[in-house]
Amino acid sequence: MSLPILPTGVVGSYSMPGWLERLKTEYLLRRISRQELDEIHDAAVKAAIKDQEVAGVDVITDGELRRDNLVDYFVERLPGVQIDRASKKFYYDFYESTVRGKMPVASLGLVPDFKFLMANTERAAKFCVTGPHSLVKRIRNEYYKSEEEFALDLAKTLNLELKELVRAGLRHIQIDEPYYSGFPEDLPWGVKIINTLVDGVDAKITLHICYGNRYGKPTWAGNYRYLFPAILDAHVHQLSLEFARRGGEDLDMFKEFSSRFEVGVGVIDVKDHTVESPDLVAERIRNAAAFVKPDRLVIMPDCGCLHLPQPVAFAKLQAMVQGAKIVRKEIEGR
Amino acid sequence: MIVHINHVQPGRAEFTSSVVSALLSLLEQGHVDPEVLSYLNVHIDWVQYKTNFREPILLRRVYRDETLLPLTEIAVDLRQIQPENLRESLATVLRCANPNGVMPARVYLESYTPMRASIIWAFNQVFWQHLLIWEHASGKGYEKALPSGQSDGHNPEAIADSVHEFWERLRDLESRKLLPPEIYVLEIGVGTGERANRWLDGFLALDQEKETQFYPKLRFLACDYSEVTLHRVMESIHRHKHLATFVEVNAMDPFRSLQHLRYKVLLITLSNVYDNLPTDELVLRDGRLFAVEVRAYISTPEVARICEKYQVSAGEFKATVDQLLTAGPETLFSTLEQGVGFWRDVWAGVRLEERLVAVENLSEAHLPVGVKPSHIEGLISNAPSNIRFHVSSGAAESFISTIQLLHPRGYLQVQDIFVEKLTDYLHSFRGPGKLDGSLVNWVNGALLAEVGKQTGYDVHFAPFRYRKGSRTSILYTTQRE
Repeated sequence: MSLPILPTGVVGSYSMPGWLERLKTEYLLRRISRQELDEIHDAAVKAAIKDQEVAGVDVITDGELRRDNLVDYFVERLPGVQIDRASKKFYYDFYESTVRGKMPVASLGLVPDFKFLMANTERAAKFCVTGPHSLVKRIRNEYYKSEEEFALDLAKTLNLELKELVRAGLRHIQIDEPYYSGFPEDLPWGVKIINTLVDGVDAKITLHICYGNRYGKPTWAGNYRYLFPAILDAHVHQLSLEFARRGGEDLDMFKEFSSRFEVGVGVIDVKDHTVESPDLVAERIRNAAAFVKPDRLVIMPDCGCLHLPQPVAFAKLQAMVQGAKIVRKEIEGR
Repeated sequence: MIVHINHVQPGRAEFTSSVVSALLSLLEQGHVDPEVLSYLNVHIDWVQYKTNFREPILLRRVYRDETLLPLTEIAVDLRQIQPENLRESLATVLRCANPNGVMPARVYLESYTPMRASIIWAFNQVFWQHLLIWEHASGKGYEKALPSGQSDGHNPEAIADSVHEFWERLRDLESRKLLPPEIYVLEIGVGTGERANRWLDGFLALDQEKETQFYPKLRFLACDYSEVTLHRVMESIHRHKHLATFVEVNAMDPFRSLQHLRYKVLLITLSNVYDNLPTDELVLRDGRLFAVEVRAYISTPEVARICEKYQVSAGEFKATVDQLLTAGPETLFSTLEQGVGFWRDVWAGVRLEERLVAVENLSEAHLPVGVKPSHIEGLISNAPSNIRFHVSSGAAESFISTIQLLHPRGYLQVQDIFVEKLTDYLHSFRGPGKLDGSLVNWVNGALLAEVGKQTGYDVHFAPFRYRKGSRTSILYTTQRE
């Protein structure tokens, strides 16, 4: 499936409706069944897919509406990780989870969710996984000698899963590592773990690194300078970074450190409910294009749209698509 | 009839039983219509504030929209009621509760309204606008009117601890290379500037002692709604003026004026601000939710007395009150003394009638900006089936607006009077009360904790350990992972 220059994409999650939040919590409190929740998820995912298509986004996801947060979707499935089901009262909370022995390598069973996405869209589809570095920050480790060792076993398990997803037809994979920005000192081993995770995975790999989006606000602050030069060793094709909220002042690193990466440039601030105009989006794209060649730019929001109300999320995606069109036209007219 | 005893005031057991006894005796003598009796709830309270807005015995009607429901409440304040006229007062209110019962003669200052929109808040605003005039007339400063006669807001030990905690936070961020180049600190409601000055002095001294070079990076924002106050603060902190900015803000929406600092402020402090912001109240009765609506009034005999004293005709009384609230006391009469006297007498006479209005659907209720139905649902999910509590509208709006300014590693520190657990409302009245010419309400800390939980912050309360007997506590936030 060919994509235009300056293709548009989403980072992963789409607007979580209030009614779905309530129903997820109802499930947690055992007031509705798993089967009912699955049916509800199917309907919500179809709606999210439709919104992204209508907005005109080129590379879409399932909106991650089956997930409670960036961690539990994986923690519930990871072999060898024990979770305390009573530890969570509201769907968005994290489970208390612990690893007490060496993790076996086994399937997480994510393929059906990807297949559901594929069955409901003709667009290029992306599937996102939370990276090992972020997962080790949330799972209590009572076995491994170091976070790095634990992350390595997680990476091996997730590697198997990615290969299964690729066998099922997945071509675009995104790895989310929002905790890098809070623990920049971990980056050297974090990159090694990423390389284990993607080893032999035949797909386009995006590494998404933001400053957190928990509760719709940043968890960390700073600038992306800490990524360089260590990140240059990551075996990924694309870096997805947030620039809309923070401004693009550290885009110059892509000139300073010549890299082979495509850049998923964040042009939509997902922490602000004000909808950007297409012109503002276009300006942000032009700004990025001054540092990264347009044929290596992908146009994205800063992060997932999870915390935005649906009309806002939809309008922002439309503005993003329109803004990309404006700059695309300028490039094609040269 | 159900009698609710909502107080645990030592030494009042005998008087409480005399209320119950008088009540039963009046029932026996047929003072209450049988139809009313079957839906009657009597609440026996101990109202903490000596001066407040309640009659010793109060009748509350209950409505769904504008339809009167049979549920009726009578609230008895053990603190105000006198033993010698207990029986007669009870009989009077019970007569009013009967079908076709007639309310006592009153001059109403407004129609029924949610509490946060009541005219009492206009009185509160006039007080702060004309504080010096009021203090001159009363012969004592505002702080002397506080129950303790002093403010905990600028307690030196508390300020020193605040400085140390903040410095530790900065040192931790610096050690992890996460310290931003500019260190923003914000104080909302700076008052005299005494606290700000002590805090800045303390921070400078500590920074010099530890040789950490944090002070030169400091950007201190002194915020208040009053320009006059800000000018006074400029003088108070003149030693640190080079790193300070003075900003007029609405305490209920600081973000509006300071949005350029979104996610940048490492420390935000407020002292004794929330308890003076408008609030609403909600009531659970047998598990069903009602909003409290109020209507301010002054008894007709009291209005007659005030009119005679200031030579205002009865027909002009309401217009004179309106003029007081919009133009100030100095515009009312030929002398300022008369104007302030009128103001003080009117304020002393203001009472609130209350009614309960059924809340059928929380999503249609008038909740504070940013407070979602799920916040209230979370708050009352395990609540007792009969309880009355503040919504703390102003405090909640302020909290929600303020936390948007916090740096990801920043925190909010609020010194105030908080109700930390919802069940604490069961045993004590928490306002509104009159504090000199201003209003005071305890703040529903349990609600703020619920709001915080759903917006990414854990809310904690620490006792104010710097003054024995203080009712103040300190709210602080931590990032919720």
